[in-house]
Amino acid sequence: MAEQALRIRKSYGYAQLEAVAWEMRNDPDMVYYYEYQVPISALPTGEILDLANEFGPDRTSGSGWPIDEQWIVGAAIGAATAGSKAIARLPSMAQIYAVEYVFNQAGKIRAMTGGQANMPFVLWIDGSSRGRGSAGQHTDVGAEAIYANLPGLKVVCPSNSYDAKGLLHTAIRDPDPVVYMDYPEVRSGQQPDVPDDPYEITLGQAAIRQEGTDLTIVAWAPATVDVRRALPEIANAGISAEFIDPRSLKPLDVETLARSVEKTGRLLVVDHGHYTNGFGSHVIAEVAQAVPGARYAKIAFPDVPGPGSGTMMEWLRPDAPKIVDAAKQLVRAQSA
Amino acid sequence: MSEETTMMDRRTLLKMMGAAGASATVLSACGSPSSGTGQQLSSTTGLTGAEFGQSVDLATSGPGGNKNWQPGDALKFLPAERIPTSGPAADRLASLPGERLLGFYRTMQASRVWESTMKDLFLAGDDGLYGAFHAYIGEEAIAAGVMGALRDDDYIASTHRGHGHLIAKGGDLNRMSAEIFFKANGYNKGYGGSMHITDMSKGILGMNGIVGASYYMAAGAGLRAKVRGTDQVAVAFFGDGASASPYYFSAVRSAVNENIPVIFVLENNLQYMGVPVARHSPTKFVADYTKGLQIPHHIVDGNDVTAVFDAASAAVDRARAGQGPTVIEGITYRWYDHAGFSGARIGEDGAMRIPYRTDEEVLGWISRDPITRYRTWLLDKGLVTEADIDAVVARVRDEVDASVEFARNGSEPDAEAGVSHTFAESDAVRTQFYNRKGIAT
Repeated sequence: MAEQALRIRKSYGYAQLEAVAWEMRNDPDMVYYYEYQVPISALPTGEILDLANEFGPDRTSGSGWPIDEQWIVGAAIGAATAGSKAIARLPSMAQIYAVEYVFNQAGKIRAMTGGQANMPFVLWIDGSSRGRGSAGQHTDVGAEAIYANLPGLKVVCPSNSYDAKGLLHTAIRDPDPVVYMDYPEVRSGQQPDVPDDPYEITLGQAAIRQEGTDLTIVAWAPATVDVRRALPEIANAGISAEFIDPRSLKPLDVETLARSVEKTGRLLVVDHGHYTNGFGSHVIAEVAQAVPGARYAKIAFPDVPGPGSGTMMEWLRPDAPKIVDAAKQLVRAQSA
Repeated sequence: MSEETTMMDRRTLLKMMGAAGASATVLSACGSPSSGTGQQLSSTTGLTGAEFGQSVDLATSGPGGNKNWQPGDALKFLPAERIPTSGPAADRLASLPGERLLGFYRTMQASRVWESTMKDLFLAGDDGLYGAFHAYIGEEAIAAGVMGALRDDDYIASTHRGHGHLIAKGGDLNRMSAEIFFKANGYNKGYGGSMHITDMSKGILGMNGIVGASYYMAAGAGLRAKVRGTDQVAVAFFGDGASASPYYFSAVRSAVNENIPVIFVLENNLQYMGVPVARHSPTKFVADYTKGLQIPHHIVDGNDVTAVFDAASAAVDRARAGQGPTVIEGITYRWYDHAGFSGARIGEDGAMRIPYRTDEEVLGWISRDPITRYRTWLLDKGLVTEADIDAVVARVRDEVDASVEFARNGSEPDAEAGVSHTFAESDAVRTQFYNRKGIAT
């Protein structure tokens, strides 16, 4: 009972704001800017975190800034270049507006100045999902691949509330820019307990979610949700799957991934991003160089904008039935 | 918002907001171009009057530039109960044949009834509708007034709140309904849904899920008209929220610089999502942003179709004559929440108990319904009969009902069509499957 009470105590969003609030309380120069995602969250016990109220208009965007993503990102990067820890939080469909400044400034200033400038900047993306009904611009997943390709940026993709809080602490404290991909699909379902105190999750440290010997499955948020759904049926098919969530994509924990594939001989990557040049391709490239002779496969959302129709969207998603099928065929192909 | 008021009968409250209560409770009013009562507010005098053949006319302090804006303050920007029956705007519209006057009515009514019907279907849940729906209800006079000044071959670029634009540009209700149902016989064959419905054959460059996407679409189309030597014009619709996009200034500046036949129509409904325009715009009116560019700016009562038509006609004449762009700002109000129908009820107008605004302000603006105001105007001036209007209302009802049946009878898109239409001539690879063809059996 006590454990149950603990589990429902803290929402995903509260856990995240708890990290931001702690960092802002301990660093009076830190700023947090956003569009309409007013940072307010409450515990069932009635305790309220209200960052706009607590830290005021200059350190936050108050009740919301105009719909001007270039401004939100630009202002945060400016503050970070001058020395403040800074977060810019953007909605998924608008994140591309931020890319110019992130591309040309955030990732390059340290190197261009010969190491003079710090860039304690976090780009927090409220990700989209492969959901039905939105179509195209509001269905994109997988922009982590775009950011990971840019020099000077680190990229994290939490898939549960514990990682979400720990990675946020780490990202804020990191002297380099970190892109924090916050996908909605991982917010629901059963979540681990989240400590009240601050803690870090080291970047470049993957989590082995399930151990196995026949096949390694790699997925990060939000594909972890589909992999979790697929695991019982994969086990029923007599396949012992090892499931690894990299959590941090750049730096990537190639060592943990390679060790697993050395053991299983097979790697299946599940990517909700688009297929061509999706981050899953990089995962395979890295592991294949470390473990020659293993068998590799990737399933990913096709290279199409997400359609509005649920019928089409469901078919396009690399969801649990398709993961189970891929796992079976990959194991069968090698034994044949 | 007191509990007492929320309990108050809606009819009573509406009545209070009307003839009896408006002048007492409303702090100031927004005039129409022809009202002649407004005080000039333009920051650059000399941008008004004969120079552009159109008065830039305003009567309020403007909703912007007020960091202390509180829920309920939208009541301060209520227009007068009735739209003016005399003056240039009234004269311009009244000079049109009765059939066209009823056409304006039909446009607004079709938009209203179609969206209200969709709202009721979403709320009832029996049809299993899903996806985002951004209701234009309350803002119909802007689409009707602007499109009334356009030709069929003119271009428009719409927004996420664009059903009314599509209907006013001649969109087919059947195929619109089917798209809301994500059916294969919908305008976008189920790919787009509410936010992306379009009919390219009617010069509609798309509704759009991205805030501020319309400026370049329309300006580019206007450039194409120049290149081809046609006298087509292009209209970019956008909201007060989208005016914050750097694309806005960029497009208006370059449209002036390159003398492009484009009209920027701002539908200022006083709120972006849950944020009031007053808090995110530093100027009285959003149109003030670009006044330094020395082009006409018409700030009008957006719930007065005569005022919108008047301003739009002037802008279209100017663009066709090769004199370049115009900015029009219509002050209006969104009756529903940003998206979806929280706080709304089947068969009732408006969304209530929305946290960032008060029920009084919603009801106040409902009492300035652009359709009712236009109806009163038509009848007051004796331009059409009640029977004429009733016939339009009945026909619209039938058309909307038929469109729902059309949608219900449509078939689901083929799931495998999901890899089509990304490129003109080839399908995308089925990379969601291990063997690319599907699940092995």
